[in-house]
Amino acid sequence: MILKEKAQAGTFESSDILIMVEPLEAGAGRKIELKSIVMQQYGDDILQQLHRELDALGVQDVRIIANDKGALALTISARLETAIKRSAGIKAS
Amino acid sequence: MIVENTDFRIDEPDLSSGYDVALIKRFLIPMGLNFQPGEVDYTVILYTLNDEIIATGSYQGRTLKYVAVAPNYRETTAFALVVTHLIEKVMEHNQQVFVFTRPENIPYFEGLGFSHIATAAPLISILEFGYKGLCDYQTYLRTLKCPSQLGVVSSIVMNGNPFTKGHQYLVEKASAESGLVYLFVVEENRSVFSFDVRWELIERGTAHLPNVILVKGGYYIVSSATFPDYFLKSEEPGVITQKQTELDIRVFANCIAPVLGIQRRYVGTEEYCATTKLYNETMKDILPKEGVELVEVPRKLAEGDGGLISATKVREAIKDHKEEHLADYLPASTLDFIKSARFEPFREKILVSEKRH
Repeated sequence: MILKEKAQAGTFESSDILIMVEPLEAGAGRKIELKSIVMQQYGDDILQQLHRELDALGVQDVRIIANDKGALALTISARLETAIKRSAGIKAS
Repeated sequence: MIVENTDFRIDEPDLSSGYDVALIKRFLIPMGLNFQPGEVDYTVILYTLNDEIIATGSYQGRTLKYVAVAPNYRETTAFALVVTHLIEKVMEHNQQVFVFTRPENIPYFEGLGFSHIATAAPLISILEFGYKGLCDYQTYLRTLKCPSQLGVVSSIVMNGNPFTKGHQYLVEKASAESGLVYLFVVEENRSVFSFDVRWELIERGTAHLPNVILVKGGYYIVSSATFPDYFLKSEEPGVITQKQTELDIRVFANCIAPVLGIQRRYVGTEEYCATTKLYNETMKDILPKEGVELVEVPRKLAEGDGGLISATKVREAIKDHKEEHLADYLPASTLDFIKSARFEPFREKILVSEKRH
């Protein structure tokens, strides 16, 4: 998937995650900044999940700011997908 | 517009309407905030479904201001909603967001992922959030850093609107007395002369000084992001301005000077502008305590009977069509620019401007 512009999804609310996406030039790789209130317990899991889903979405070069307030895995998944698709200019069909 | 999954409704008031502004003012006054519609670009209000205002927030440029939540709703998600909404708007056009707030609110913004930059106790703190940040600016500084120099490492912060013989005199003096001079050029494009032109004229006017390195001021040195005149009741404007200068100088002393190993800062004495004078006073107060020596250099007198040199006088002379005296104030490089065709758009700006800077 080719990212075109900055985009975000989610909120700062409790049990949610705010994901901000910025396209990077090809070859730059992924730069993920994760902050979470459960960093110690689930930080690595969340990071792995983000990478796994970016693989699935076919996104290699991207900067992601993820600000987690204890979101469930499926919330994280949904927010990431939405932010990436917004960034790629894909509208809901 | 109703906010998903809540009993809140979000609305964008019309800041040109006296009714809407009065509404916001009435809400903010009990919280000690004196709302100035001229100092914001955009405001959002959060209502309950009974049309009771429970929160508001604004921004100007890339800085959030006047974020406040009614006491009864501080346990709810209102604060997060307002900040999320504002950030989304600001980040459409910017890489980062700043927020000006009182020091006691730092934990709330940090809870949302903001990073604290500096505090001028007990009134103002500044925090930032986004793709870019202070670290990126510090990385930029490190790329300019000259390794192992003999002599003192000095700095000057300059707007140069436009670059005069007075500026040149200050840089020459610093250059002669130091091993190395980092010359910060204010990047904010709020002056008559654009950043590109100011930079170019400073570069040309200091080209003969090999130990002077030009540095972009970024958002962290005298920028409108870190320097808005703003808020807080029961404080005289003088105090607020003083706190803002303090904030700017603390950022310089704590986040910028150590990266480049700056030991000294040169400034010209200020005779005309009260704000700049205050800025100098604050520097005298703070910088020595933070390990940076301050050197105040008396302003240079113009040749002939032009009095002290200042960029303000240059702009006034242009405005009054008295350009024959400009040679007393300006080095050849700046004079050439003013005589060139590229100057015309700036001339028009000067002719219509009333501003101090």
